[in-house]
Amino acid sequence: MRYLPLIWAAVMRKPTRAILTLLSVTVAFTLFGLMIGLNATFDMVAEKARADRIFTWPRFGGNGVPVAVARQVAAIPGVKAVTAMNFLPGYVQDPKNQVFVLMVDQNVASVFGDYGVSPEQWNMVLKDRTGIVMSRIQAQRWNKKIGDTFTMVSKQIKRADGKTGWDFKVLAIVDDIPQAGNGFIFGNYDYIDKAKPLADQGKVNEVDILADDPASSAAVAERIDRKFANSATPMQTITEKLARSGNDFGGLDIKKITRGVALAGMFMVLFLTGNGIAESVRERFAEFATLKTIGFSDRAVTIMVVLESALPCILGAALGVGIAAVLARQIPKLMPSGFGMPLPTMSPMVLVWAAASAFLVALLSAALPILRLRQMDIASALSGRT
Amino acid sequence: MFRQIFIVSALNFKSLTSRFWQSMVIVVGLAATIGVMLSMLSMSAGMREAVVNAGNPNRAIVVSKGADSEGQSSITRAMAPLITDAPGIARDKDGKPLADRELTMGIPVLRRDGSTGSTTMRGLSDKGPGVRPEIRIVQGRMFQPGRRELIVGVGAQVMFQQMQVGDTVILPDGKWPIVGVFTSGDTLEGQMIGDSETLLTSTHKTNYNTVLVRLASQDTLDAFKKALTTNPALSVTVERHSDWYNRIAGRQTFTLALLGYIVGTVMAIGALFGCLNTMYSAVSTRGREIATLRALGYGAFPVAVSVILEAVLLSVAGALIGALIAWSLYDGKQSLFNNSIFHLSVSPTQFKLGIIWAVVVALLGGLLPSIRAARRPVVEALRAT
Repeated sequence: MRYLPLIWAAVMRKPTRAILTLLSVTVAFTLFGLMIGLNATFDMVAEKARADRIFTWPRFGGNGVPVAVARQVAAIPGVKAVTAMNFLPGYVQDPKNQVFVLMVDQNVASVFGDYGVSPEQWNMVLKDRTGIVMSRIQAQRWNKKIGDTFTMVSKQIKRADGKTGWDFKVLAIVDDIPQAGNGFIFGNYDYIDKAKPLADQGKVNEVDILADDPASSAAVAERIDRKFANSATPMQTITEKLARSGNDFGGLDIKKITRGVALAGMFMVLFLTGNGIAESVRERFAEFATLKTIGFSDRAVTIMVVLESALPCILGAALGVGIAAVLARQIPKLMPSGFGMPLPTMSPMVLVWAAASAFLVALLSAALPILRLRQMDIASALSGRT
Repeated sequence: MFRQIFIVSALNFKSLTSRFWQSMVIVVGLAATIGVMLSMLSMSAGMREAVVNAGNPNRAIVVSKGADSEGQSSITRAMAPLITDAPGIARDKDGKPLADRELTMGIPVLRRDGSTGSTTMRGLSDKGPGVRPEIRIVQGRMFQPGRRELIVGVGAQVMFQQMQVGDTVILPDGKWPIVGVFTSGDTLEGQMIGDSETLLTSTHKTNYNTVLVRLASQDTLDAFKKALTTNPALSVTVERHSDWYNRIAGRQTFTLALLGYIVGTVMAIGALFGCLNTMYSAVSTRGREIATLRALGYGAFPVAVSVILEAVLLSVAGALIGALIAWSLYDGKQSLFNNSIFHLSVSPTQFKLGIIWAVVVALLGGLLPSIRAARRPVVEALRAT
């Protein structure tokens, strides 16, 4: 590390260049962090998805199926627990601010016990018809705290009284879970059911199942599909593991897109840092000749150039990923709520990829200048003839 | 003055070759920025085109009051004749109104990669082809009213499995054969179409979703709208079909467009720092040359302008390269988002957008260096080694 003062002097020889390079690298790595962080989120969702949880919903859409379907599903062999839910889609104030409330019944805890909602909190919601429990992301998005009123408009769900507004009371706020990247809101099934016109009551949009054994859940899903195939209510069934396995965002391959963007950012800074280090070496060619003359080996000179090139890359990568981490936490606040992307996660893999990319950019940038230094003719370099 | 700007700029560009790699920082920076941004925007732009193509100013759509999508809307059997008998609707050669009660529903399909997706099953009546003349059968035949058979769009064939003529689709009352393939130049190409009455029976539904009418002329919309909205037996919203699609296209493409602009902005900031770096460095390399010009009597302003011009030229060149890459990779490619099929699009409008961004980056990135170049004392610059 005795080279450090030399390297520092080299970097700070042109402070404007050093700072601008650092800023540019930082910005590129902010983007890198957000993009690869988004990948990490999709990976985590796929990994944490439960093999023993199964979703089933009406195959041909519509208003839902009679709640009796849930009881029939419960009787299928291999099914441990069953809960039924209704969806309340709508918006807050403006149609752009989309929101989605899952209206759950008294069995919810037996199937969604891992959602971080305590038995007491489930109880509060199940006892209070207008009560809801929100995850932190949603609470932050709508600026709600416990005790606040939450009002939304739904044009999809017809109310018996003809109104489109729905008022809720926020009873609890819980931590988010990786499976629900966009947060969640749970409400009370009875509220939506009793608000509907009589003809629409007693229907559910989705039945969720916990299988006895994760290994047999695919077979259970098939059994459900078969049971209802020729009934008045054909069902479409899928395990949570399968549903969350793709990198799928509405049919787009999100991984391919985020990787492409991150790569383009890296390509951009590669040119910048490569050019910067080449210029810096060119300007100090005679100085390097002096170093070699007084006994610095090729290896020592190589290390110095690599370190000089690596300094802005590593520092920029650290700063950039740091900024990305801060930004990711602020996304629910910064983004309009119609922006339905999950939040990027700065997992250890993201840090490893960022560090590896920073080193690669540094090495590639330094490669050509190093080659020139190795082949330099000391005598002519010292006399400034190159 | 303009002569001075021209001469100084010409001198700059002649010396560009000696600063080739340095200049490439700007070109590559903008190429990457604009390439990535336009690639991402090709999704929202393509989707918008597909949706907007589906809207026709000669048509009007009737939905239940306040509905924001076809799926949300519901038109009862009792309401339908009140709508189709209203004034302002074009008539076919038998004098019948060109108005169709349409049905839409989601239906699960198998994507090419084996995952489960869903697409729209649309029900049309025998008036359907008259209201939507853009539907053209390219293989097989049209479905027959009253029969349990379907036609599929060419887009659906590309994106989903088992969509050939002769394949069958499972509906609640059994298997329906596919008898034809159609093109329409809009989002319908990703969907399946069957007879609305037969579909209603099959799916145990009672209500239609929308009524789509062909207007007698573009100007009869008001008369048609007035007749429906003043009828106390109806609670509906009437909208020109093109306006309807413009409105929902904005909502559908919102997230994707926003994502494209955010990524574009972040990359542009990165490119801006690169541009500043290059231009500062260019100004300092050419310090003596600039000072010589100043000593010869050239003004500070032409020198500053020439620096900015150089930045603009390099940026725009980069933006064009990036736009061309995005265009060659993605323009016209078929894609799928939220169950609608469309072609990615990198259009001249987006080329323009890319160039505007490049000019903004160049102006910001060239300004400070140009001021430094113009203000540097001549004597000091001439003495510098």
